[in-house]
Amino acid sequence: MRVLLVEDDAEMAASLKASLSADDHEVEVAGDGELGHSMASGGSYDVIVLDRMLPKKLGVSVVRELRDQGVSTPVLILSALHDEDHRIEGLNAGANDYLGKPFSTRELLARVRALWNGRDREPQTKLAVGDLEMDLLARTVKRGGKKLDLQPREFRLLEYLMRHSGQTVTRKMLLENVWDYHFDPQTNVIDVHISRLRSKIDRDFAQSLLHTVRGSGYRLEA
Amino acid sequence: MRPSLSLLRTTTFRLALVQAGIVLVFVLALLGYVYFATVGQLNADSDLLADQEYAALDRAYGEGGIRRLNQEVVERAARQGPLLYVLAESNGAVITGDFQQLPQTPAGAAERVDFSFERVDEEGNAIRGRARGQVGRLLNGPILLVARDLGDSALISGRITSALWTVALLGVVLSIASGLIGSWLASRRVEALAATAHDVMSGDMTRRAPVRGENDEFDALAIAINAMLDRLQHLMQVSRTAGDAIAHDLRSPLTRFRQKLEAALETPPNTDADRDALRVALEEADSVLDTFAAVLKLARVEGNVTWRFERVNATNILRELVDFYEPAAEDVQRTLKGEVEDGLYISGEPGLFTQAVSNLIENALKYTYENGRVELRAVRRPDGRIEIAVSDDGPGILPEDRDRVLDRFVRLESARSTPGAGLGLSLVAAVARLHKGGLHLRDGLGGQGERKGLGAVLVLPAMANA
Repeated sequence: MRVLLVEDDAEMAASLKASLSADDHEVEVAGDGELGHSMASGGSYDVIVLDRMLPKKLGVSVVRELRDQGVSTPVLILSALHDEDHRIEGLNAGANDYLGKPFSTRELLARVRALWNGRDREPQTKLAVGDLEMDLLARTVKRGGKKLDLQPREFRLLEYLMRHSGQTVTRKMLLENVWDYHFDPQTNVIDVHISRLRSKIDRDFAQSLLHTVRGSGYRLEA
Repeated sequence: MRPSLSLLRTTTFRLALVQAGIVLVFVLALLGYVYFATVGQLNADSDLLADQEYAALDRAYGEGGIRRLNQEVVERAARQGPLLYVLAESNGAVITGDFQQLPQTPAGAAERVDFSFERVDEEGNAIRGRARGQVGRLLNGPILLVARDLGDSALISGRITSALWTVALLGVVLSIASGLIGSWLASRRVEALAATAHDVMSGDMTRRAPVRGENDEFDALAIAINAMLDRLQHLMQVSRTAGDAIAHDLRSPLTRFRQKLEAALETPPNTDADRDALRVALEEADSVLDTFAAVLKLARVEGNVTWRFERVNATNILRELVDFYEPAAEDVQRTLKGEVEDGLYISGEPGLFTQAVSNLIENALKYTYENGRVELRAVRRPDGRIEIAVSDDGPGILPEDRDRVLDRFVRLESARSTPGAGLGLSLVAAVARLHKGGLHLRDGLGGQGERKGLGAVLVLPAMANA
């Protein structure tokens, strides 16, 4: 997919461009907010990755202006200030995701893909991955026609994984999107939740759906 | 003590000078008033009397000539009244009268005269005195003087005048003296404060301004200055400790990071080993960054950043946290139980509140033994505040160490081997302060043997749950 990277630190930009290119994206780079804004309004990008502190125009202003112009390309803001109020400010301006520096490259790649997949999503009432089915209205989960008994937090976790099926989902993404927690637990809490969920959806079946992606996170895939 | 000249420049002394000036003006005004009310009145009375007598004698001269006049003067002088009379020839030679010498020879018609005289009374005593009256040439040359002996009245007015002058002088001297003493006392206190400030500036942070226990404005100032110095000293100490601790906590992982990379470079290329080295190096870098992020977060919570407070449903957040950590606790053979009252609300920043309580839960899980218990209990206290207690049955912390562990980077010796930067409880304490609450430590759930466990208690002001 086509990614516009707006980042003024040349070294950072080069390294991010290399990582995104290696992940099969076509990347164009803008070095300041004004250039980034004009490229974003003219070009047809799938995802925009925007630094918060940019010369000439701040990242938040760029997003706000793009949204005012009716440009709905998903935007991920990168920021050295990973604070609640800055995150909320960015999301309010119209950004779709917010990632604090320093971040791992895998985290960024996973989020860029999640943004692209989440785009133009129709409101769904049913989700399915292989023979795993989720009914969002009845709040039921079945695998191979057999009803699975999930607790509310397990249901929310599975819903997020199913909405992003086929993609790598990082622990941080789960923490932020399923629990709305914006700090790093020092323990392996997420792994324990995943292993509990796994024991419910995978244990009695030949094919595993919930995979661990080493060093990154998890992926639900048939 | 500085040269005393500086005393003359103090505010108190200047005020004293102004006061002295006011005293002087007041005394002069009083003097004027008393003078005109006494001496002036006496003179006016004398003048009137002397004028009337002079006119009467002049009339007698007009009616009866010099002989009649001489007769009248002799008669009147013989009465020894308050008036004095002298009749002289036109050349000034005295014909008759109370004394033998004219004070002055008038040129023409009656004129006012004020003079000293000397005369002899009936017993032959010489009398000196002052007199005031009229002297003038009558028709055809004879000179007539009629004067009133001022006698005692001059004495009284003189005394009054000199008394007033003495009072004025004394007032001015006393004002200046009191000014000097006042400014000396005041500048002594101010100089003591200044000396303290000087000592602190030149590096002695332990110096404090003297408080004399007089409960005056200087004591109030000294107490305020001392409180400020206490706070400054504490902050300096904290930042120094923090500086050392950051250096320590960052140096170790950075050193391991460097060693791993160096060792990987110096050994022959081996993909597996190299990748392993890179992975470890990455972990070390992450741990440095985590410490760094924690320091920044703490600085933001403690600093003057304005956080946007909102109504936070503490009950929900606490129950979700217990729900979140419960499986992880079970995974490491600990039990986590929550007992949270309904309808607890605070005014706060939900992210920070969540992180603070999660730090307490993680701490408790980290420092308990296998099969240990951790309990989170949240209640509204009778005083209306919300108490959130996270208690465990672990080794606990000795009472004497409890205050210390709330400072940044303090990790007890026993905790050195476990991961963490020693910022967890500092952050909780800072978040508590930000929310106008507090964090304190007490005994926990108790346990086997001597163990008391640890209870970390977060107390926050409640918000009405309407």
